[in-house]
Amino acid sequence: MPEPVVSARGFTYRYAEAREPALRGVDLDLAAGSFTLLAGGSGSGKSTLLRALCGLVPHFHGGEAAGDLEVGGLSVRTHGPAQLAAVCGTVFQDPESQVVMGGVRSELALALEHRGEPAGAVARGVEEVALALGVAHLLDRRTDTLSGGELQRVAIAAALVGRPRLLLLDEPTSQLDPVAGDELIWLLRRLNEEWGTAVVLAEHRMERCLPAADRVVAIEGGAVACDAPPAEFLAWSARESTALATPVARMFSMAGLGPLPTTVKQARESLRGAGLAEPSEPAAASEPAGRSRLPWRRRPGGPLALEARDLWLEIEEGPRALAGVDLRFEAGERVALMGRNGAGKSSLLRVFKGLQEPTRGRVQRGGRVALLLQTPGDYLVHDHAREEAGDEALRAAGLAGRGDANPRDLSGGERQRLALEVVLGGGPCAAVLLDEPTRGMDRPHKDELSARIGRLAAGGAAVIVATHDTEFAATFADRLVLMGPGTVIADGPPAQVLAGGWHFSTDVARALGGAGGALTPEQGARLLQRELVA
Amino acid sequence: MRGGLVPVYRSRPSPLHAAGAGATTSLCVALALICALYEHPLVLAAVIAAVAGAGLAAGVGSEIARAARLSVPLALLVTLINPLVYAEGQTLLVRGGSVLGHRFDITLEALAAGGLAGLRVAAFMMPFALFAACVDPDELLRSMRRVSYRSALTAALATRLVPVLARDATRMGDAARCRPQPPGRLEVARAALAGALDRAVDVAAALEVRGYSAGRRSARARHAWSRHDLRAAAAAVVVAGAALAGKLAGAGTVIEYPRLEIALGPPEMALATLLLVAAGLPFAGRSARLGVARA
Repeated sequence: MPEPVVSARGFTYRYAEAREPALRGVDLDLAAGSFTLLAGGSGSGKSTLLRALCGLVPHFHGGEAAGDLEVGGLSVRTHGPAQLAAVCGTVFQDPESQVVMGGVRSELALALEHRGEPAGAVARGVEEVALALGVAHLLDRRTDTLSGGELQRVAIAAALVGRPRLLLLDEPTSQLDPVAGDELIWLLRRLNEEWGTAVVLAEHRMERCLPAADRVVAIEGGAVACDAPPAEFLAWSARESTALATPVARMFSMAGLGPLPTTVKQARESLRGAGLAEPSEPAAASEPAGRSRLPWRRRPGGPLALEARDLWLEIEEGPRALAGVDLRFEAGERVALMGRNGAGKSSLLRVFKGLQEPTRGRVQRGGRVALLLQTPGDYLVHDHAREEAGDEALRAAGLAGRGDANPRDLSGGERQRLALEVVLGGGPCAAVLLDEPTRGMDRPHKDELSARIGRLAAGGAAVIVATHDTEFAATFADRLVLMGPGTVIADGPPAQVLAGGWHFSTDVARALGGAGGALTPEQGARLLQRELVA
Repeated sequence: MRGGLVPVYRSRPSPLHAAGAGATTSLCVALALICALYEHPLVLAAVIAAVAGAGLAAGVGSEIARAARLSVPLALLVTLINPLVYAEGQTLLVRGGSVLGHRFDITLEALAAGGLAGLRVAAFMMPFALFAACVDPDELLRSMRRVSYRSALTAALATRLVPVLARDATRMGDAARCRPQPPGRLEVARAALAGALDRAVDVAAALEVRGYSAGRRSARARHAWSRHDLRAAAAAVVVAGAALAGKLAGAGTVIEYPRLEIALGPPEMALATLLLVAAGLPFAGRSARLGVARA
């Protein structure tokens, strides 16, 4: 094994005022030039480990540390973040909070200026990193004019400008759309291969990152639960922690096939090898495996929940956000609203709620409309959870007994459940609208949300969820509306819209070539078992 | 979305943007100096025209126009208040009543003096609008770091974060509207403040991992002066020199009371013409069209 860039021996850390340690006896060696994926559920300790590697733990956050942790030969217990910055660059989740200067060029120069580099070296470093990361065209832009993807690229460039041996990233794609997220992962892989920079990446979307990784370290309860190459990690996750497995690996595992594939390409090859040829039937004509009829067709002309007629939203001095949208949602429907960034999903939800007035057209509401916007923390304005919502709502959010907690101290998932109960309070709703609710959410929390959506729909509300997450959409939705720029470009059952899609598709559908309209691991496994029996 | 009333810097291919922050700032300061030294309407009008022309040539005409719109109500306010406060002047327009022993007569001279003060306020705002639209704050702050690194960095952070926090507050306002019983403004403001503190902690962490506390600082890069720098600096010198020379020579004399007297002779005409010509200096020459933002 090459010289380790990270070496941990029994490293334990407890945050100040916390009862339990966030990291427990971590033993870890990461080789120089490796690409390591940190896996684990929310609150497992991934972020704390990354903060320890860059020195913020314990120097910035305080608390107590024990054991040894060395990064690039420097002990994090005796060297602070500024000294460790010479060997490791760090990128956090929210690009808005880590880009500190007004201009991109100044942003990239800052780390080198802090190191006291001569002016010529600063200029050269900025130029080189900008070209290497494909942000040279942004150098003279103001940071407040950049998109989320551009901002995150600039943050990575700023972390790499000093040529660190190690790059740490904490869920860098959680605020990005899938295209920008995929681009970012492959950019990291290229940096890792071409520059030899070791990468440690914490992510929830395993299917997105696993193909790029050499190694996966799973963290559970603050300790290393698995440290293995991707294929071995998948085998471990199938046995010990199915929530961490990729959808395709779960499909293989449920169908009793092996070895578990780390990529869609491997999955296709394995299926071919097992005599399960890629299906040829047109996906668009198929129905999801295990479903005889589509629920949204069972209720033609049901009670109206929400309707848009020839809806236009034209922003002054800006683009058309909505251009003649006609949509009708009925009580009990579970709808996924998908489309690329700028397609008009959020605008449509805001118009439905009445936060924005359409420039033309009409919205008809069948009753009260609840909207949960993208940042649930924005809804929480009191000092105690109980003041945000009553005891009954706290119970519904799974927060019984946490009424005295400050909402800011709740985890991301807890905050979201509480915010949802806040907007649902005040009586029954004809429609519940959720805008990107799964950002940065692990699979168990997505499953919980999916179940909650099911309960809301069963209670008679139309639930409309704007999301980029095709896997999540396939789990909860019985209808999928795909938006182009300001218009509806597809509207039908998820199996019809997603199974034949290229970008808007699930990994299971990709692996199966859209066969049988199977989108989820469960549907795919049933299909494969049928094929195997046949 | 419409732009705000206060202009915001955007990199543009114009000579004023291509010139260094120091040079362009000097020109704006020189134009502001005119407003500080003179209240002559022709000279002030020349400043407004010079800034408008330079703004149009630099591609920031709409930003300057918005700033001008912002200055109009302020100028009108000053114009209207002055005659209510000052009752001097020989030409009585309105005989007002008496309140607490103070007579509220309105004279032509006080009204004219108010108009001149209003014009001065409006003219004063114009060079600052040009500055805000054409000078890269990061570059200016970088040059200030030699004086005080921490203060300059704090100012840079404020420049960057104020719009981010404003967006946070807008988002929280929208979230409040989505609640069945919207919380009070005070509660939302308190939560927005707490959110700002959270963001401040995140930014502090980001600065730490970028080596902020390493204690070393780069020496400032020395740039060779470009043609754009030279022309903008030359314009600044001409404007400031003309302002000082004119003042020493007694040009632009305005006497408001007891009777309004405004000198309008060759010195005033020359000063106004010189201002207009000097403001065009940065745009003179072929290479002006090739301006790009500086490193």
